[in-house]
Amino acid sequence: KMAAAAAISLRRAGWRLWQGHAVIMCQLCPLQRPLQASAVLRRVSEEQKKEPLASSSQQQFDSHPAEHKPEKEPQGPRPSYTGQGGQESEDYESEEQLQHRILTAALEFVPEHGWTAEAIAEGAKTLGLSAAAAGMFHSDGSELILHFVSQCNTKLSGLLEQEQKLVQLGEAEKKPTDQFLRDAVEARLRMLVPYIEKWPQALSILLLPHNIPSSLNLLTSMIDDIWHYAGDQSTDFNWYTRRAVLTGIYNTTELVMMQDSSPDFEDTWRFLENRVADATNMGNTANQVQSTGEAVIQGLMGAAVTVSSAESPELQG
Amino acid sequence: LPAGGVPLRLCGTRAAREGINKPVIDRIIRVDHAGEYGANRIYAGQMAVLGRSSVGPIIQQMWNQEKDHLKKFNELMVAYRVRPTVLLPFWNVAGFVLGAGSALLGKKGAMACTVAVEESISDHYNSQIRTLMEEDPEKYKELLQIIKQFRDDEREHHDIGLEHDAEAAPAYSVLKTAIQLGCKAAIFLSERI
Repeated sequence: KMAAAAAISLRRAGWRLWQGHAVIMCQLCPLQRPLQASAVLRRVSEEQKKEPLASSSQQQFDSHPAEHKPEKEPQGPRPSYTGQGGQESEDYESEEQLQHRILTAALEFVPEHGWTAEAIAEGAKTLGLSAAAAGMFHSDGSELILHFVSQCNTKLSGLLEQEQKLVQLGEAEKKPTDQFLRDAVEARLRMLVPYIEKWPQALSILLLPHNIPSSLNLLTSMIDDIWHYAGDQSTDFNWYTRRAVLTGIYNTTELVMMQDSSPDFEDTWRFLENRVADATNMGNTANQVQSTGEAVIQGLMGAAVTVSSAESPELQG
Repeated sequence: LPAGGVPLRLCGTRAAREGINKPVIDRIIRVDHAGEYGANRIYAGQMAVLGRSSVGPIIQQMWNQEKDHLKKFNELMVAYRVRPTVLLPFWNVAGFVLGAGSALLGKKGAMACTVAVEESISDHYNSQIRTLMEEDPEKYKELLQIIKQFRDDEREHHDIGLEHDAEAAPAYSVLKTAIQLGCKAAIFLSERI
């Protein structure tokens, strides 16, 4: 009994020493952080091995912690930058990059698991990391969704940029504005198609208070991008009106798409077309109202001048 | 080949926009655009009242220069993809009212308003020039040149105002202080909203 207790306390002491060592390493060398992150993953996975869990996914895990990410990262918290392939510090990966890779890998599991920590865990496993890597992220899947939205927006910008280049080179016709807006919104919404079942869940998570600043930011920069490539050069209040209108069109079309069951979402695209046409008409109508108003006022002024000069004939030569 | 100059400009300005301190440049362009827009409206208000008086031509000339300034900032705003201030409709009305109001105090009143506003704007441009010089004079060479030129123009307007007996206006110091306070508030708000 004494021996067992001694062994347990020794193991605990050893664990604390390990932790202390890790803390010291952290303090000495901030660059160690990404290495620490992966060291934590490996450490946790080792702990999990010691206590066999009920979850079957854990049992798939290899006993050898050293073959993670074969192209980089040393084993253990050693301050060495040479990876297993003898590669130098170019393979140094920031924690942010690591998170991006995990989230990107997690996307393929979203149709099955939804926007959840499970999907992230599965994604981490395809990269050879412990499923506990999902602990790096918020449990409601927020980062995964924001990452996806950000990726889609970047893709959209790339598409629009390419299209612009083609027009500049004369290889494509410049589209009229309403057509351009329709195509841009459709292209962006089509990126949701593989995840359409779980997208309503994502939308509700994006509306959570702690996500609103980021999701709003992503939305506004996407709309601004679309208008920029559509050739908007307004520098007055129209800047705001146009973006507000397009945001409304995008959001309503997205909601329609959630409930659309027509083949290839043709109802959605027809809805989009009608909304864009409405917006264009409204703009034209506003202009017409203004011109009509101006014309009416001028007419009244002319009438007033005529009447006043008719009533005072002595003023006329 | 593209039909207009616009697409070419968009392509070229991509390079101009990379590597710059976007938040700082955003603010600078937004507030300067708002300022020139307001100045335009002030002169428009003054012309509405004093257009047919003896100082009409002078005000018209200064107004034309402000129109050029505004045009330049419109171009910069598109090139750097800066959002205009949401208070533009407000500056539209407020500027016109200030211009017309000061002109109703007489020619000297209008000149006093010009002196006050142009002094505020010159100081403001000077501090922007300082900021840009501290950041990186080389990177922002074009912008610095533009702002320096405009600062010199505004200084000239200020001197013209003084030449035309601005200081003899009724309640000159009160008027000047009030207007400059208003300008400071306008600058503060336009930088942010």
